[in-house]
Amino acid sequence: MAQNPFPLGKDELLKAYRTMRTIREFEERLHVDFAKGDIPGFVHLYAGEEACATGIMMHLNDNDRIASTHRGHGHCIAKGVDVHAMMAEIYGRSTGACRGKGGSMHIADLSKGMMGANGILGAGAPLICGAALAAKVRGDRGVGITFVGDGASNQGTFLESLNLAAVWNLPVVFVVENNGYAESTAMEWAVSCDSYVDRATGFGMPGVTVDGTDFFAVYEAAGEIIRRARDGGGPALLECNMVRFYGHFEGDAQTYRAKGELEAIRASRDCLTILSERVVEAGVIGRDELQAIDREVNALIEDATRAAKAAPLPAPEDLLRDVYVAY
Amino acid sequence: MAPVVGIVANPVSARDIRRVVANATSLQIADRANILLRVLAALHACGIRDVLMMPENGGIRAHVERGMMRARSRGEDIYPALHTVSMPVTGTVADTHRATAEMRRAGVSALVVLGGDGTHRAVAAECGTVPIAGISTGTNNAFPEHREPTITGLATGLAVTGRVPPHIAFAANKRIDVSLASGTTGATVSEMALVDVALVTERYIGARALWRTENFRELYVTFADPEVIGMSAIAGLLEPVGRDESGGLMVRLSPDGASRKGITTLNAPIAPGMMARVGVTDWRRMPAGVAFVPEVTAGSVALDGERELSFSERDRLSLTLRDDAFRTVNVAAVMRHAGQNRLLTGTPVPVTAAF
Repeated sequence: MAQNPFPLGKDELLKAYRTMRTIREFEERLHVDFAKGDIPGFVHLYAGEEACATGIMMHLNDNDRIASTHRGHGHCIAKGVDVHAMMAEIYGRSTGACRGKGGSMHIADLSKGMMGANGILGAGAPLICGAALAAKVRGDRGVGITFVGDGASNQGTFLESLNLAAVWNLPVVFVVENNGYAESTAMEWAVSCDSYVDRATGFGMPGVTVDGTDFFAVYEAAGEIIRRARDGGGPALLECNMVRFYGHFEGDAQTYRAKGELEAIRASRDCLTILSERVVEAGVIGRDELQAIDREVNALIEDATRAAKAAPLPAPEDLLRDVYVAY
Repeated sequence: MAPVVGIVANPVSARDIRRVVANATSLQIADRANILLRVLAALHACGIRDVLMMPENGGIRAHVERGMMRARSRGEDIYPALHTVSMPVTGTVADTHRATAEMRRAGVSALVVLGGDGTHRAVAAECGTVPIAGISTGTNNAFPEHREPTITGLATGLAVTGRVPPHIAFAANKRIDVSLASGTTGATVSEMALVDVALVTERYIGARALWRTENFRELYVTFADPEVIGMSAIAGLLEPVGRDESGGLMVRLSPDGASRKGITTLNAPIAPGMMARVGVTDWRRMPAGVAFVPEVTAGSVALDGERELSFSERDRLSLTLRDDAFRTVNVAAVMRHAGQNRLLTGTPVPVTAAF
């Protein structure tokens, strides 16, 4: 085996690949099962965007908090939420991460620092400011990461949070997952400033733009930004330019895309292909090792789906359980 | 008909990790548009009536058009007509390559470039003999000189309208050609740098920027200027080499710094606001036309401050400096000539050059 030229050891590289492959397979399975009518509610798939969640989450531990979006499956898997519990949740089963009452857009696992996917656009940003303030007060070196799409970046909650994080010097990283479309509206029609770095600069924090389809670009930039926040250096914004392989939601006909656009991005900007080609070409990981992971991941997703389908629905008497909390 | 000037303004320069690991500039899109309006007003004052611009989706053109519309509503005629190269926008460096080639074919007399060293490199790769007037809006900025853009616009206008003799108006520039022959496929990749080629031990491209000095191994520069930041500063603080001299400088670096005998430790500004200690084992002149084969056998090739290519023990890398590789507008010389010969007496000076 050749000398490893990458900033991660072989085990970590394999872990990154496994995470990205798990997200991809999870989403591909949902794409098929949703079309069959097996899944209640809405799903928004993260396929194509795996390098972003994985490159960032490799730098986090369970004490670090993340606040996700409506497109949250990738964030959950990369943060370590159990895949069986996620699949059961999406199927609305009582064995789900939220006992089947949240569904795709509300998967949460506080034990993993995952504060929840979120059906309300831009709502994760104020939550993460609170979590980061708690970490700062406790002095436990925890950081908070919030994800927002290019569309939700226009929400007042997001802009207020940039201000609050800057004023209080919170250990927060605002990640803009820019896949070019707010549902069906292209970014240039809907975002007044022309660069998210300009937006960060306006609030007095640094902003960085990276190619979100390049795992190593995300990993390296996120590493510096997260270390800075952890050390007390304050908030920053990371814009990841990326592509989504499916529609805004499952069932979206995607008439807003140019002819051949999807085929082109699948052929040239697939983050999983880019990562596997790099590590194989460098002679650090064998293709057979990646294929072995693929088989294990397939088996995992198959088992999670089978278990979810076999699990019971929540009982009627559970309707109000976990809904109200007494302080 | 008055000469046409081309404009390449990159909306995505100055967006990399150096805003976090150092305190690099974040020049906002509206600022870039404002710079362009100043350049346009100066070109118009010199008699330029048409400019051809690279299309982009970053917003620069929209802001510029708004500024021009506001001037028109006030009844001011201070800007040339703005035309855009007809081409699809990809948002990548390919746009700069294509737009430059199209403008060269369209016969522009000069290219005003807004961007960092990377943008200027992309223009230089395609501009042929068309002179470049560079304006710094990037991060490392060793190549474009720091100067008020109005003056760059004036000098460009005076140069291309023939009011300053070409031997004064234009300067020759050097470049380093990089050739990487793959040991596995046999294919050769050719690249070039305007200021510096750095060989570093990281073999992944990642966030592209250079800031981990412990990974620096070899450095090749076209000019070594102690007044700039980045890789050229390392060479410039050892042995200055001018932009107008033949040849450049090569420097061998060591990760061990002060801990070993025979190593010079240099404290250099390697990024904006970032002083770092680098160990130097050796430096020597790099004559033009001589192919250099590096000692380092695996790592990444950084061109003008950004990791672009990775190479392994199997590949063959060579670097050759070329004198007189492309032309720039010599702004200082043009303006000196303009003053000495009172070129602007009787010429309307732009009074409103911002929106």
